Amino acid sequence: MIFRTTASRTSRPALPRVRTTAALRPLHHRLDPACVEEIPFRADDGVRLGLTRVHTGAADRPAVLLLHGHTASADMFLLPETRNLVDVLLDDGYEPWLLDWRGSCRLPYNETGQRYTYDDVALYDIPAAVRHVRERTGDRPLFVVAHCIGSLTLSLSMAAGLVPGLAGVVSQGVFLTPKLAGRTSLRMSLAGELLKTRIDHIPVDFRKVGLWSKHTPLFALASRKASCPDPTCQILHNSAWGTGASLFVHENLAEATHGRLADLLGPAPLWILPHLRRIELARSVVRWHDTDHRYRALPPNALDAAGRIDTPVLLLAGSENGLWLDSQRLCHDVLAHRQPQLDVSYAEIPGYGHLDTFLGRGAALDVFGHILDFLGGRR
Amino acid sequence: MRDMTEESGQRATAEAIERGGGGLGVNDLLARVMQAATTADSGAAPAPPRDVEGVATAIAAAAGRYLPAGHLPPDADFFDAGGTSVHVVELVAELEGELGIEFDLDEVFADARPISLARRWLEATGAEASSQAAPPTVPAGTPAPTAQGTPPAPAAGTLPVSGAGAVAVAAPGTLPPSGTGAAGASASGTPVLSGAGDVPAPAPETSASGALPVSAAGALGTIAPRTPPALRPRVGSGDDRSARARREDLEQILADLSLADRLPFADVPEPLPPRRILLTGATGFLGSHMLLDLLRHSDAHVHCLVRAADEEAAVARLGAALKSYRLPWSSEVRRRVTVLPGDIRRPRLGLSDELWHTLAHELDGVVGVAAAVDFLRGYQSLRASNVLGALTLAELAATGRPKPLHHISSIAVFNEVGITSMGEDDPLAHVDRLVSGYDQSKWAAEVALRRARDHGLVVTALRPGGIGGHTRTGAYNPQDLSSGLISAFGRFRTVPAFRHLNAAPVDWVSRVAVAAICEPDAWGYDYNLTGVPNTLDDVVRDMALGGMHVRIQEWDEWRTDALARLKADPVTELAFLTRVLQSPTALKLCEATLKGPAATGARTAALVEALGLPPAARYDAQAQLTTFERLAQDGLARLPHKDDQPYLWFPETTEGSVGPVDAPADSPCSMALTLSIASMYQLVKERRVDVTGEVVCTAVHPEPLTVERGDVWVRPEEGIPQQHGLGHQLLRYRLRLRDADGGHWWLEGHKYARARRDLWRQTRALTVRIGREGEPASLAGEVVVPADSYVRDQIDGIEVDPRLTSQEKRAAKLTWLAWFGLEMGRGLLGPFARAAADLLDLRRTPTLTEHHR
Repeated sequence: MIFRTTASRTSRPALPRVRTTAALRPLHHRLDPACVEEIPFRADDGVRLGLTRVHTGAADRPAVLLLHGHTASADMFLLPETRNLVDVLLDDGYEPWLLDWRGSCRLPYNETGQRYTYDDVALYDIPAAVRHVRERTGDRPLFVVAHCIGSLTLSLSMAAGLVPGLAGVVSQGVFLTPKLAGRTSLRMSLAGELLKTRIDHIPVDFRKVGLWSKHTPLFALASRKASCPDPTCQILHNSAWGTGASLFVHENLAEATHGRLADLLGPAPLWILPHLRRIELARSVVRWHDTDHRYRALPPNALDAAGRIDTPVLLLAGSENGLWLDSQRLCHDVLAHRQPQLDVSYAEIPGYGHLDTFLGRGAALDVFGHILDFLGGRR
Repeated sequence: MRDMTEESGQRATAEAIERGGGGLGVNDLLARVMQAATTADSGAAPAPPRDVEGVATAIAAAAGRYLPAGHLPPDADFFDAGGTSVHVVELVAELEGELGIEFDLDEVFADARPISLARRWLEATGAEASSQAAPPTVPAGTPAPTAQGTPPAPAAGTLPVSGAGAVAVAAPGTLPPSGTGAAGASASGTPVLSGAGDVPAPAPETSASGALPVSAAGALGTIAPRTPPALRPRVGSGDDRSARARREDLEQILADLSLADRLPFADVPEPLPPRRILLTGATGFLGSHMLLDLLRHSDAHVHCLVRAADEEAAVARLGAALKSYRLPWSSEVRRRVTVLPGDIRRPRLGLSDELWHTLAHELDGVVGVAAAVDFLRGYQSLRASNVLGALTLAELAATGRPKPLHHISSIAVFNEVGITSMGEDDPLAHVDRLVSGYDQSKWAAEVALRRARDHGLVVTALRPGGIGGHTRTGAYNPQDLSSGLISAFGRFRTVPAFRHLNAAPVDWVSRVAVAAICEPDAWGYDYNLTGVPNTLDDVVRDMALGGMHVRIQEWDEWRTDALARLKADPVTELAFLTRVLQSPTALKLCEATLKGPAATGARTAALVEALGLPPAARYDAQAQLTTFERLAQDGLARLPHKDDQPYLWFPETTEGSVGPVDAPADSPCSMALTLSIASMYQLVKERRVDVTGEVVCTAVHPEPLTVERGDVWVRPEEGIPQQHGLGHQLLRYRLRLRDADGGHWWLEGHKYARARRDLWRQTRALTVRIGREGEPASLAGEVVVPADSYVRDQIDGIEVDPRLTSQEKRAAKLTWLAWFGLEMGRGLLGPFARAAADLLDLRRTPTLTEHHR
């Protein structure tokens, strides 16, 4: 049997960790290493996170904190092969700060199952990072540019009043009102339930699981009607970790980025699905922990508490977002109706999907202009 | 070298010189213009002058007042100098009223140089003899009736094209270059004709050298079309005038084609994706989209040639154009763009010698998108932009480092009535059967560039058909004929019977054009960028899907009908369509377009497939939707409106009770409403239904209240609960009520979906709150649609616009029921899904022992 494998061949047992803790994978960038400062940083509950400051020596630049999406990492803002957001921010006179919150693929938590919910991110990660940046930058304006779940959890932090006084927030993909396609939602709920007794995360890198594994059916399903033969691309572009959504418009990615997808996006944990499902079905960001009083700082429903937001918000979305659809437009309409006093604007980027708004080869031309205009008007 | 920062007035003059006044210095000409202006100012000459020069001066003076520069040299084109078609109409009226000079509007469009207008008018009025009095000022472009050897005139019907070709083409070739010195000298006396030394300028005929009209392409040489008078236009051959090209235009075309022979021989370009590109026409509709696509899909730096006085103005103009087409114009775009102020109509693009040479040696691609797109103007008026401009770009491409030229041609090169096929390698139209100046100029440019291929130049001809609005941003070309036609179709609900509409959305056209530019293996061929043509059936069905049921008419009937409606109810935004529908030449163009076959693009399809680009798709209702919305926003198109005859409507009655807020509801309240929609578009896009009717509520007022304005939103805000909980919104009613005493009230009602088993009641029960306008709610309660009236009213009771056929009515009814039923189903399912998820959350999440743990 050529497909017979033994467990020992696919993976070696790891040594019990007695001295080392979670460590960050190095960033992949083409900046001068002297400009990149890696800060040893822990969240308020003691979890090791990553915080990186890209500086030029100038002490008067407004700071911009960049939040990646779930399973991505700060690398998504530092693509060496294209004109990336950090380049653009540096050239326009900002000081970028990159947070790797606990959902980053540079950290091991998605895979090794030190479980968390988005409540932890909103309560422990983002407020701690904002506080840290504030300590370092003083009273310079602090902006946040957040993508996907980074933005969703930021909305929960903001509605809880944990990050007051930001100069402006750019939210990409989804903010207070997550909306998935019915089909995506159904697959996420049902497939997640069926799989969760067998696996605990969905890998994206075919090279790490091999041809014959318990993940094979997932990759096989993802390859249905796929136009690209790359299994990693299939499970992201054609299936979004098995949910059937699409994470980006294929032709917007540069070849090099396409080849690096497995580095840019990591495995998705299945144990996050119940919280995500609850959020999605409510069409608003809701707290998971209802009985745990450590989380009582968070509102039960961020949309109801949106009045606490004290920051101008720019909602960005690609017109072809295959995952969160038109959540941002919905959010803009809902906030305009329910919280008309908030300064919320909406910009749609024609022809872009979800991830390619930052990873796309033309993102600097089509997307970052909106971000610079927004930041420039408020710096 | 000319200073680019000169004021535009001087530039206009200079252009005029380059176009015609070869023998005159700037000062002479200025003096002449001043003189003309003063005469026009001083004497409101009631009696029109009787010689060509006098008439031309008078016309020029009148025309000058409509131009930004304030004056117009007699041999400059009115449109080139900045005049618009609106101005022309006013000008013609003024000439007739003040000078007694009458013109057919069409004649002015065909050739809007005062000098030729004067000649035509004098010819028509029989004052021809006097024109001979001033032969030196008569340009030879439109041959003056000066005596040259007079061969017998051929029969009127048979146009001796071949003869004209032989003569005109032979002219530059056979002329001895000995004359070059003199001509060059006289030409270089005027500063415009810079660097005439590059290519020896052919000697013009001495007799004509006094006033050379053609030859804008300075470095390419100045060639006067020598025409035997046999080919002179015949005044009064009015009948076939709109079926065949005018002879003087044909002569000019042939003369222009021969300019291609002056191009240097070019070497093979390096087969690499371009790194530095010159792009003309970046402020245009297609050009601006191509600029962004070039930046997105290549690493090239793009030099944009923009018509403006200086660089600052050029940058501003480009930025404004990109923004107007909803394209990004950020520092990231500016980083990769260099804006060059210049003009394709001028020799060496109006660039300095130094810049021209730098570009010639640094560029590795030239993309010519700029063109004057005007279906009313004649060849004489368009050739400087569309033909000579293309040849100047060919010269740039052939000079210095070898580089390909990518020329945006047009499917108009096939635009002959009765042509049988429009494939990429099929023969082009017969030029003598092209009537509109635009078609002629695009034909001439492409044929001239075909000749350039024989010089070794790699020329890619990209031929878009109609270019529709962007499928995502909806950006459209307001001056485009197809925008106008689409607006008219929707507005009048009629379409002319056409065969195919060869139109593709701008995003696809631009993307494929850029792909051909960036792919060396694609260079040097002809491509039809026409996408998948729409047939009449497709268009009618698409519009019906959108709730716009159109009727089909014969082309002539449609045109008369549309014109009558446009006249009865003028729409400023559609004024150009009115003019097109009235112009005989433009009509020929429309007719050829509408009756033509489907263009095919096998090579384009192969390119698209090889590069993995989005395949051409029909420009269907979905793709046009955003554009249509934008057209409606800008006043061109018209969306169905609340006040129109509704598309579909049905009654709804509710009964229930209300009472003061926080008190038991004991006062009866009932509503008799009519719910209607103006179009399916309103339903799908706004998710809104219009409401009229009355409310009887004694707690508010003893008399019934009228609904002044009412809306019902279906699943508003995706049904997101108004506060944390499972109460998802199904419907939201908002009514503005007026009581019998004129007082105003508001009524807000909601139907909620809940995770409870009384689904049938959830769809019928409306929680209402009522308050006086501007005040908080004073009454609250619940009204319910009686179960027995629900089906009777809301399914059986549906009425559809009586103008539709019975089949269309059934379709409308079914579409509404299906849409509404699905929405209700989704809405009702929401709370149950959440309840089910809560149950699933009770399952224990197993702790797995996966690897790497």
